[in-house]
Amino acid sequence: MTIKYTKIKLAVLMTFALLSTSCLAQELFSMTEPASNRAAKSIGLRIDNFIMDEINTAKINYHLIPEIMIGISKKWMINGSVFFSNRSEALKYEGGSIYTKYRFFSNDAVQRHFRMAGFGRISFNNSDIHQEEINMNGHNTGTELGIVATKLIQKVAVSSTVSFLKAADNGNNNKFIYGLKDSKAVNYTFSVGKLILPKEYKVYKQTNINCMLEFLNQVNIGSGKYYVDIAPTIQMIFNSQSRVDVGYIRELRSTMIRTAPNGFFIRLEHNFFNAF
Amino acid sequence: MKRTFLIIAIAFSLAAKAQATKVYLKASGLTCSMCSNSINKALKTLDFVEAINADIKTYTFEISFKPNSYVDFDKIKKKVEDAGFSVVEFTAFIHFNNVQVTNNKPLTVGDKTFLFVRIKEQMLNGIKEVKILNKGFVSPKEYKLNAFPIALPGTYNAST
Repeated sequence: MTIKYTKIKLAVLMTFALLSTSCLAQELFSMTEPASNRAAKSIGLRIDNFIMDEINTAKINYHLIPEIMIGISKKWMINGSVFFSNRSEALKYEGGSIYTKYRFFSNDAVQRHFRMAGFGRISFNNSDIHQEEINMNGHNTGTELGIVATKLIQKVAVSSTVSFLKAADNGNNNKFIYGLKDSKAVNYTFSVGKLILPKEYKVYKQTNINCMLEFLNQVNIGSGKYYVDIAPTIQMIFNSQSRVDVGYIRELRSTMIRTAPNGFFIRLEHNFFNAF
Repeated sequence: MKRTFLIIAIAFSLAAKAQATKVYLKASGLTCSMCSNSINKALKTLDFVEAINADIKTYTFEISFKPNSYVDFDKIKKKVEDAGFSVVEFTAFIHFNNVQVTNNKPLTVGDKTFLFVRIKEQMLNGIKEVKILNKGFVSPKEYKLNAFPIALPGTYNAST
């Protein structure tokens, strides 16, 4: 009990530390998408790597997710990703996902904005179901529908998402083993970000270093079981075009069966503007 | 022959001098350099743009134009919006050649029509800074405060 509360206290302290330092803030979050849309006619390429520590074994669960992101218009973007993991010993293809986001509200002012967007995801996965956690990004087949709000105020960028997830049976005869009642969940997240460097913007070539703190949470509608994760990330942006994120995901509290909730996350991303 | 050439030369120079040579633009809704870069790259795709001088710190872009080109203010605004942001200030540097401006009276200068508002009746000569006040060229707050009637297509409410 004491250890759990210490973890939560640490998480709250970290958030306040992030909020109180006077720096410009960033909203290019690692684990969630902000309400802002990518530039129209831009294409982004991503390679996401999850290196997760499997509970009670020495095994590392590695998930490789390459992704392409397309800015259709200033309000609408669409992403496509492919899932690979080493669950069957060798790195194997397991499925893919289509994600789309539509920004329906935007209020801009100098150095600030408030935006809202709706998003949806449809995923297919043919791996075995081994945990109660529902995860549309490399584990489950199903759909996710949600809403995100992001506020950027000179010193702080905060973002929150709420989404509804519905898991279906996975491919290759891998049924969702927890029953229909427990196949629905709600995800809710809270993210905060800040710019550390440069202290003063001069040229586009300057490397930007941002740090983010995200809380990623799920509650299963059927069983009432839940988890609360914390994910700090360091992000570097090169040439105002490429990006590298290095993060750590840690479970703070959970009442559900989860195979490998703790581990590292590495993202490599490059953006092409005016690509079509 | 020499005299005809001179007249044509003057006529051309009048037409050329009657257009915007430069636009100073301030964008809103952003703080990061990648956001500024997406606006910078978008503006560079406009065929009438010669060069862009971007100041990441102040979110401003100084856009200079190719001589004798048609400068489309609405296309510039749309490029900023397509990048995901908004224009909060738009000032065009326009050369006037002894032009009389009257408050609330449309004035066609080169390829643009301006409706100057809240100004004293005056003669404009030389390069003047013309601030555009149409919707989408100022902040929503400023547009609301001004409460001008909606400008006709191709007409720009302006002050100098």
